[in-house]
Amino acid sequence: MDKVNMSRHISGKFNEELEAVRNQVLSMGGLVEQQLRDSLIAIEKSDHDMAQQILQRDYKINALEVQIDEACVQIIAKRQPAASDLRLIIAIFKTISDLERIGDEAERIARVALESFNNDQQQFLVSLENLGQQVLSMLHGVLDAFARMDLDSAYEVHQMDAQADRQYEALTRQLMTYMMEDPRGIPKVMNVLWSARSLERIGDRCQNIAEYIIFFVKGKDVRHVSPESMEQTVKGTR
Amino acid sequence: MISVTPTNTQAGSLDLANLSAADTALEIQNLNLHYGEAQALYDISMKIPKNRVTAFIGPSGCGKSTLLRCINRMNDLVEICKVSGEIRLHEQNIYAKNVDVAALRRQVGMVFQRPNPFPKSIYENVVYGMRLQGVNDRRRLDEVVERSLKGAALWDEVKDRLNESAFGLSGGQQQRLVIARAIAIEPEVLLLDEPTSALDPISTLTIEELITELKEQFTVVIVTHNMQQAARVSDQTAFMYMGKLIEYADTNTLFTTPQKKQTEDYITGRYG
Repeated sequence: MDKVNMSRHISGKFNEELEAVRNQVLSMGGLVEQQLRDSLIAIEKSDHDMAQQILQRDYKINALEVQIDEACVQIIAKRQPAASDLRLIIAIFKTISDLERIGDEAERIARVALESFNNDQQQFLVSLENLGQQVLSMLHGVLDAFARMDLDSAYEVHQMDAQADRQYEALTRQLMTYMMEDPRGIPKVMNVLWSARSLERIGDRCQNIAEYIIFFVKGKDVRHVSPESMEQTVKGTR
Repeated sequence: MISVTPTNTQAGSLDLANLSAADTALEIQNLNLHYGEAQALYDISMKIPKNRVTAFIGPSGCGKSTLLRCINRMNDLVEICKVSGEIRLHEQNIYAKNVDVAALRRQVGMVFQRPNPFPKSIYENVVYGMRLQGVNDRRRLDEVVERSLKGAALWDEVKDRLNESAFGLSGGQQQRLVIARAIAIEPEVLLLDEPTSALDPISTLTIEELITELKEQFTVVIVTHNMQQAARVSDQTAFMYMGKLIEYADTNTLFTTPQKKQTEDYITGRYG
C-alpha cells in the first residue's frame, strides 16, 4: 500500500496539490544531495571549477524552499489538513528547512575547496573524505526514506549519526595535533576543521529529517527523547 | 542528550476509558437502537465527562444524531424506535420504567439545527420553561432572563427590546435565544444538534465562543458536520460510522493521530 496514501482523497485536486509539493521536496532533496556529493569531489580533487558551480547552484535550493513553503501555506489555508495530511505538511515544512541548511553547508565546503592545500595538508582531506562519505550516505538514506516514508530506513539513518560523530571527533583530534605541531599551518587546518564541522552538522540535520519521518508515520514526536524510548516508538505497534 | 518522556497527552486531557464517577456526566452502556427492523446504533458504550464539550462526528446516517437524541429520550417520539442498553445520569438509568421524561428533559436540554423560537417576545421565549414549572414571580423571571441571555451572549444585543417578537432577531441571534431558553431552566447537560449549520460564519464563531463558555456550567454534547468545528470547540470527539462508535478520544489526539483507519479516512477526506 502507498504509505503516504495520498491518492485516496475525495478531492482529486487535493491529491494533486499534495503530490506536487511532495515531488518538489524530492527534487530539492536531489539537488542538495548533488551539491554535497560535488562539494566532496571538489575538495578531494581540488576542483575549483566544480566548487564554483556549486556556489552558483545554491540559489536553486533557496528558491525551491520558498516555493514549497508557499505551496504548504496554500494547502493549510485551503484544505485545513488533518491527521496524516497535517503531519505530512508539518514534516515537509521542517524537512525543507533542514535541506536548505544542508545546501548552505555544502556551499561552505565548496568555498574551502577553492583554497589550495600543500601535500602535507592533503592527508586531512582524505580523513575529511571518510566523514564526507558517511554523511553523504546518511543524506541519501534519509531522502530515500522520505520518498517512501519508510520508518525502518529513517531509524537506520538516525542510528548512523553516532558513527559520523565518532569520525568527526577523531578528525578534530588529528587536526589539533597538527596545529600544535605546525602553527603556521593553522589557517589552512582551520578551514578543514570548518568543513568537518559542516559535515558533522549535515549528519545532525539528516537525523532531524529522520525524526520528521518517524513523526509522520507514527504521529509521535521523537525529538529529544532517550534512545530507548525512540526505539520503543519505532519498533512498537501503535 | 536531555531525556524527556515523550507524551501525547495534552494538559487537562482525561483518561476516557477510566473516568471516575465524579468526572462522569453520562454513562452510555451497550446501547442498541432499532428503527423497526433496521438497527441504527450498535452496542455503544462511552462515558461523557462533566463540564466538557463532547463532539459526535461522522458521515450522514452514521447515527450521531440518533445517539444524541437518546440522551434526552427524544427518540421516544418515534413509534417504531426500540432502545436497549442503558444511559446513566447520576447513576440512574434514564430508560428505567419509573423515569419522568419531562423531568429528564429539564435536566438535559436540547438545541436544534434550525433556530426554533416560539412566536412570542424575546422575554417570553426565555422564561417559557420557568412558566411551565409554574414560576410567575416577575422579579425572579427578570433575573432568569438577564442571566440566561448573558449566558448565551445575547443580552447586550437585546436588553432594550425584550418585549419585541423573537422573530425580529437574526438567525444567529435566534439560535442564541434558543440556547438562552435552554439554559434558563438550568439543565445539567446541553445537547446541541448541529447548532450552527444554518448560520453564517460570523454567527457560527459567536456560537462556538459561547459553547466554550457554556461548558463551565454545563456538560455539552454537540453533533456537527463541520469537522473543524468539532476540532475547535470540543474536548473529546467520538467518531461514528454506520451506527458504531469507531473511535472516542481526546480531540487533540483524534485530529492529529487517530488510531483507527476509518477515522483517519474520514477526517482527512478520503474514500472509506
